[in-house]
Amino acid sequence: MGERELIGLAGLVVLFGVLALRVPVGLAMILVGIAGNYALSIVAPFLRFEPYLRQFKTLLWNSVASYDLAVVPLFVLMGFLASRAELSRDLFQGINAFFGRLRGGVAMAAVGACAGFGAVCGSSLATASTMGRVALPELRRLRYDPRLATGALAAGGTLGILIPPSVALVLYAIIVEASIVETFQAAIVPGIIAVIVFMGVIALTVRLRPAAAPEPEVMAPDERRRAILRLLPVLAIFGAIILGLGMGLFTPTPAAGVGALAILVYGFAMRLWGEPGLDLPKLKGALLDTAVTSGMIYLILFGAEVLKGFFARSGLPAALAGWAATSGLDPWLVLILMLVALIVLGCFMDSLSMILVIVPFFWPVLVEINGGDWAVADSAAFAMSTEDLKLWFGILALVVVELGLITPPVGLNVFIISSLSQDVSMRDTFRGVMPFFAAELGRVALLLAVPGLALFLPHLLAR
Amino acid sequence: MNRAGDLLERIVAGWAILGGIVLLLIVAVTGTNVGLYVVDAIVPGAVRVISGYEDIVRLFVSAAALMMLPYCQLRRGHVTVDLLTEGLSPRVVRRLDLASLGLMTALPLFLGYWMIFGMLETRADGRISPVLEWAQWPFYLPGLVSLALWALVALDQLRRAWRESPA
Repeated sequence: MGERELIGLAGLVVLFGVLALRVPVGLAMILVGIAGNYALSIVAPFLRFEPYLRQFKTLLWNSVASYDLAVVPLFVLMGFLASRAELSRDLFQGINAFFGRLRGGVAMAAVGACAGFGAVCGSSLATASTMGRVALPELRRLRYDPRLATGALAAGGTLGILIPPSVALVLYAIIVEASIVETFQAAIVPGIIAVIVFMGVIALTVRLRPAAAPEPEVMAPDERRRAILRLLPVLAIFGAIILGLGMGLFTPTPAAGVGALAILVYGFAMRLWGEPGLDLPKLKGALLDTAVTSGMIYLILFGAEVLKGFFARSGLPAALAGWAATSGLDPWLVLILMLVALIVLGCFMDSLSMILVIVPFFWPVLVEINGGDWAVADSAAFAMSTEDLKLWFGILALVVVELGLITPPVGLNVFIISSLSQDVSMRDTFRGVMPFFAAELGRVALLLAVPGLALFLPHLLAR
Repeated sequence: MNRAGDLLERIVAGWAILGGIVLLLIVAVTGTNVGLYVVDAIVPGAVRVISGYEDIVRLFVSAAALMMLPYCQLRRGHVTVDLLTEGLSPRVVRRLDLASLGLMTALPLFLGYWMIFGMLETRADGRISPVLEWAQWPFYLPGLVSLALWALVALDQLRRAWRESPA
């Protein structure tokens, strides 16, 4: 490793050090990027610092003036409009009308609603928080076992990252230069498997321990009809976005714009109908919430842009990739070590920051050990082309990032659900989440063993 | 001074809402464009889709995105990693917070300084959007205002944190 690569490596260590001192992630990335470039200009004078600084004249504006990235604030806005319009409640009650007649059905409905809301919201933490507020009181009122109730919600909340359209998927696709639409398509089957597996865990828990869930309450026919009627427009909006994107009928930015418009119109129409829906104060609240989340994402994105420039100039990612290609390590071992690292980091690091900081290092290494940029399936280490590897690794990476959110002792989703249920200890919530955690490990193993689960749909729709 | 802080808070919240309204404009333009596209698909030639739709989205979002940053700072919305600081004394945590806020005040000033040159250069070069041929430099202005507000918010937070921290 030369001096430049060593500076790159030192920059990475300093970045984690600065992050650990609670410096905002975006700011830490920018600081390390600029300071690292200064250090590089000392050891390699041809990498001059002054011309580098001049890039900042247009770097910020150019990085936000992006048609592709416009999808981020639009999806964020759509999520907050849905939250303020109380679509989360309609989803939960509507799905409950179908599942509520089963033992453990309300917990299953909560998982289903998490998946639906996660699709539109795109953030696991926001999904856990919103659905926790909606479903937890109902689960507790019905005297569900606190461990099952909190565990199901903490685990269900993780579905937000994977189920498209998701901001995390968009950012991953941009980093590895994959098609956003194909990345969404690749996430659909693994996302559906997660929902089925989580519902299966609930059914199994209730079967083994009937006291975990009460006898199902029979919903009055009128109430049931109303719940289903209110679910239909929500399903129509979410379904149109997911199907349209999945089938490649429209690109993500128009999809996000139309989705936000549909929720806006529906929310105000509900208000006129005398239902909670949306009004001007709620719209104002949604716009301010969007400002906080989008501002946070944009700063991290800009930080990633600055950091990317530094690491590229240092040559560290290329050196790591070269080392991996010649080290003779088993490709599957490298992949599994990467996934383990993502699980560990996911315990205490925000998922978007992780994708933006870690994936740029892992991705070139994976490409090299797979056989290089132009690898073909027959001769590649993972028996797939680079384009397929992008999709498969993206899904695996996001699933393990999800796993980090419920991994003891610091799973962020568990903290959120635990804070919403004051009388359930953190320990009990972690115990409740463990069956889901085990099921998630099984899902990772399944995706590793059968890449076709992620690749089937993009291949089918590309025909 | 508190009154100035409150006024700043109101201005920043208003600025973020204005950014949100720009985002709603993108939503409206997108809805119209998709509607026209559908009509055109059903009755070919009856209407024309909005020409330069991507230009509109790109230029408008450049303003909206930066307009959200000061409010994000106001709400301390920038994500941090709580790994080591939980075990540190409150005194050390407060000092780290002061250092972080100091850097957060310097960042928008640094970015704003360079962006002024960027705007002047863009204007001098006559850079325009590809389809609509709109001049790009006016779209730097909301960004510059945003960076100034962001620096003011961080400075106000630094001042408050300094006052509250023990000697």
